[in-house]
Order: sequence, then C-alpha cells, then structure tokens
Amino acid sequence: MLTDASACRVILVAERDRNVRDLQSFALESAGFVVAFVDDGEAAFAYATANAAALIVTEILIPKLDGLTLCRRLRAEPATRDVPVLVFSILAAATRAEEAGASAFLRKPFIESTFIATVSALTKVQDHVMAVVT
Amino acid sequence: MSSLLQPERRLVRDLGGESGDRMRSGNREADYILGGGFPTNSINIVMGHPGSGKTIFAEQLIFDNAAGDRPILYFTTLSEPLSKVVRYLQGFRFFDETKLGTEVIYEDVGDQLSKEGPAILIPVLKEAIRTLAPKIIVIDSFKAVHDLMPSDGDRRRLVYELTALLTAYGTTAFLLGEYTEDDILRYPEFAIADGIVEMSRRRLGNRDERYFRVYKLRGSKYLEGAHAFRITDAGLDMYPRLVSPSMPEGYEPPDERISTGIAGLDRMLEGGIWRGTTTLLAGPSGAGKTTIGLQFALEGARQGEPSLYMNFQENPSQLMRTIRSLGVDLEEAQAHGLQLVYASPVELQIDSIIVDMFRRIQQGKIRRVVIDALGDLASAATDQQRLHDYLYALVQHFAVSTITSILNFETTANSVSIQGVQNAMSYLSDNVLLLTVGGEETTRRTIRILKTRGSAHDLRIREVIITGAGVEIVE
Repeated sequence: MLTDASACRVILVAERDRNVRDLQSFALESAGFVVAFVDDGEAAFAYATANAAALIVTEILIPKLDGLTLCRRLRAEPATRDVPVLVFSILAAATRAEEAGASAFLRKPFIESTFIATVSALTKVQDHVMAVVT
Repeated sequence: MSSLLQPERRLVRDLGGESGDRMRSGNREADYILGGGFPTNSINIVMGHPGSGKTIFAEQLIFDNAAGDRPILYFTTLSEPLSKVVRYLQGFRFFDETKLGTEVIYEDVGDQLSKEGPAILIPVLKEAIRTLAPKIIVIDSFKAVHDLMPSDGDRRRLVYELTALLTAYGTTAFLLGEYTEDDILRYPEFAIADGIVEMSRRRLGNRDERYFRVYKLRGSKYLEGAHAFRITDAGLDMYPRLVSPSMPEGYEPPDERISTGIAGLDRMLEGGIWRGTTTLLAGPSGAGKTTIGLQFALEGARQGEPSLYMNFQENPSQLMRTIRSLGVDLEEAQAHGLQLVYASPVELQIDSIIVDMFRRIQQGKIRRVVIDALGDLASAATDQQRLHDYLYALVQHFAVSTITSILNFETTANSVSIQGVQNAMSYLSDNVLLLTVGGEETTRRTIRILKTRGSAHDLRIREVIITGAGVEIVE
C-alpha cells in the first residue's frame, strides 16, 4: 500500500499493448507520476478498490472486464466513484465513455503532449477534491 | 465532486480517425490525387527505382509540414549517406535551412545498422520517439534495412515490431524504398502499409517521362492511374490525370447559337454553332484550319468572351503576324480576353499540356477554345489509349462547362476518306467540318459539313477563299 502522499501521484493503467505501455510509462514517469499497470478489467477493479490512485486510465478493449464496464463498476463502488477515469482507446467511443461515467476520453494513438495535458488536468481536479474532503 | 469533474468531461479528444484528418504532401496536385493528402497517423510506402523522385517527394512533404511543437525526423539508412542527401536538397526552393535541427531533424543510422544489424532500428526509433516526439518519421531507405535481414521470418518480425510501435504512437511514417511492383505481393511491409505510392520513370527518346501512382490508400478515395510529373527546382510539378466529369443532374445543353466569326459558315450551320459543342475541323495543310480557328477565337474576344487559342506549331511571334495580317488589333483582342498559347509538343508530355490548358481555362474563365492541332498532341502522347482517354475527357469537361471548342485535325491529303475522319476523331465532336485544298493552275479550297448535332445544315460543298479579312465562303 502506498502512502497518502505518493498515492496522489499513482496512475493506474489498464493496458495490454506493450508499445503503448512503454510510451505511457515513459511519459507519466517523466511527468512525476508513479504508474501501476494491469492487464485486464478485473485486475484494474481489484487494484482500484484496494489502493488509492489519482487517476485510472483504461483501454476499452481489455480482457475479463472491458474498459466501459470497468468504468461503470468504479462509479458504482463507493470507494472509487470519485476517482477520475480516462478512457484511452483505439475505438472512437467518446460518447459511450461519457455515458459509462468516464471523466475524459482520448482516442489512440499516443501523443505525449495531449496525453500528459489530459492526465494533469484530471489529477489537478482530483487534488482539489481531496483537499476539500480532508 | 460531480460539479468539479463535470468540466473535465469536455476533455474528449479523438486523435486518430477523423475523416478530414489529412497530412499535406507538400504538393497541391498530389494532395488532389490523394483525396486530400495522406491520412495522419498512418504508415506509408513511397516506392520507385533509384532516381525516380522518392526522396524529393518526401523532402517536399517534410518541409511543407515542418511547423508546430513536434519535429519531423528523417532517418537515412544504407541507401545514401546523409551528407549526400542534404547536399542535393539545398538546390530546391522548398529547402529552409532555418528549420534544420529544430523542426526537421536528419539522422544517419547507416553506420549503426551496418555494425549492429537491422534489429537496432526498433530501439533507435523508440528512443527517438521518447526524446523527440516526432510527428512525421521518414526512413530512407527502408528497403535497405529489409535487405539486411537474413530470412523472411526476420523480416516479418521486424515489420511486425515496427508496425506495433508506429501504430501505438501518434506519428505519420513514410518508408521509402527501391521496390518494384512485384515486391508488393512478396514483402510484408506492403501488407501493413496504409498507403502505397509509386514514382516511376520511363525513357522516351531523349527525354524521360515520370509518373506518380497510388496503389493503396486505406479509408480514402484517390485518383487512380498514372499521373505525370516533372522535377523542377520547386520540387515535383505534378499533372493529375484528366478524367471525364460526371454530368450534372438535370444537365441540358444550352439553347444558343454562337457565331464562328465567318458569316458564310454561320449560314451553312443555320445560324452558327451551338454553345458548348465541340467542332472537329479536318483538312490538309494550307486548307485554312488555323485561319478559321483564329477567326473563331477573335470573334469570341469581340463578343467579350474570353477565348483560348492553344497551338503547337507556330510560335507566338508567327501567330501574332498571322493575326495582324487579318487586320486585327491584337492588343485590343488580348485586352478583351484573347489568350494565345504556344506549347512545344516535343518537349512536353500530353499531361502537362492538358493540365496547363485547364488551369488557363479556369483562371481566365475561358468560353471558347481552339486546339491547333490534335495531331501535335498525338505526337506528344506515347500511349494512344491515353491520348484518346484524355481527348474524350477534355471534350466532356468542355460540354459540362458549356465551353465551345474547335479542334483542328490535320489530314495527310485531299483524298482523305470522309469515313476515315469520322471514324478517327468524330467520337470526340458534335460537328465535323472537312476542308480540302487543291487545283492545278490555281489553288482551290472547299469546305463541307459532314455532321452537325441538332441542325439541318447545308449539305453542299462550298468554295472557300482566304482574303486579307480571313476565310470567306463563296455563296
């Protein structure tokens, strides 16, 4: 379990593509985040309910629990409903992501500047929420 | 909470697949052929023999796109050393030295490839993506990397790795290579490519003809066929193949006759020729074709209709003298929209002649066109089928745009077979006029209307005389 301070910078990423993972890992770590990768939706849900994360990034096309179902379950779960979710997918599914409760949607491919700007915006909002709650 | 997150729901970006998301090729005509340019975030192959223009095409593209916060990365491999590529690049007008090293980054990986093997390409690319975040990656030549691979299995693995990397990352890639058409079916890089374009060169006597062709462009319409181009100091000067326009819905030919500029001929045609029609004027040398064509164009200028006279035989000075001999104030005619254009069919491809003609027609809002003569265009065409396709498309464009045209067609002798003329060229035209020239002691010229569309024309053979005022019909 991470400390509260470091948990604020943990990004949970549900992604199977090795190249996308490499790019996300490099960009997020360069921006000062800690990255936790999982391979499927169930692992993502288990991690998110047991650990604090500043943001959850998920592809839609992941095994066991797809990214949109994951998003809905995170929203329904009291422990995770306030954690922002970024759906980052090869599918053009912005509307479906929003309907599933995602905080933001980005379509692949990976462009570092856009990805990091979106992650930063979402985690800043989360920082503000945590400050209000505590 | 929800009120705080709500604004972030607007953080919706689609970086991958918007239909209008295109990358300019740096060449307006090539973009037209490509249906707007290359799709962004795609992998493309630019193939062709050495010297076919691949590198110039790629360099024109990168300098045109070199702007913004992400650079363009140009890898040279084992085809040409970087110093050679850059040395020749400086001769082109699109080259901008101020962009080198910041917006356009050249990197020579030939030495690394030769020492460490082709597998080094993937880590080199990964590192470049991490450190430079390039929006365009060019590998020149990828075929050279391909040739370093010892087996088909190795080649497939490399292409798979490359595709996975370039697909994950938002970049538009161009793999250049000295591939042949047969390679398309054999090599794995062609299966994964989103776009394949070919530059080719064909030797024709003392000159070369170059062609650009799109083989594949996923998710996009493009203009099929071979499109001619030339290499100039501005880069590639491309001439998209002329195709027949689709007839607009509800199209009806205009119900208006216009004067040919020769009163007697207008009477033979029952009041002139229909606007928007094409007239084939056939006859041997000296029969009066050029004079009739000039009178038609000059009459257009006199009526305030911009008129284009395209000729391939007489240079501008010769033509001006001919016009002045008709008692016409050339400068005044030009001020009223007469354009005299000379093109040498020996030096040019038919594609460039036709594209130039169309640019003039569009820019000058041309209403009348004379082409003097079709035979010269034929000599510029290396492929007779291509010539026929072009001419057919040309007259269809004239019809849709209601441009009235005369096409001069030189026959070899007076004994020309009427049927022969009709078979050879009349599919192009609404009207066919046949001129003859002969006589033993004095020259005698005649004109005969073989065909008109929608007119009960004069069926008689009429004598033609050429005076200081031009052609007159003896009645």
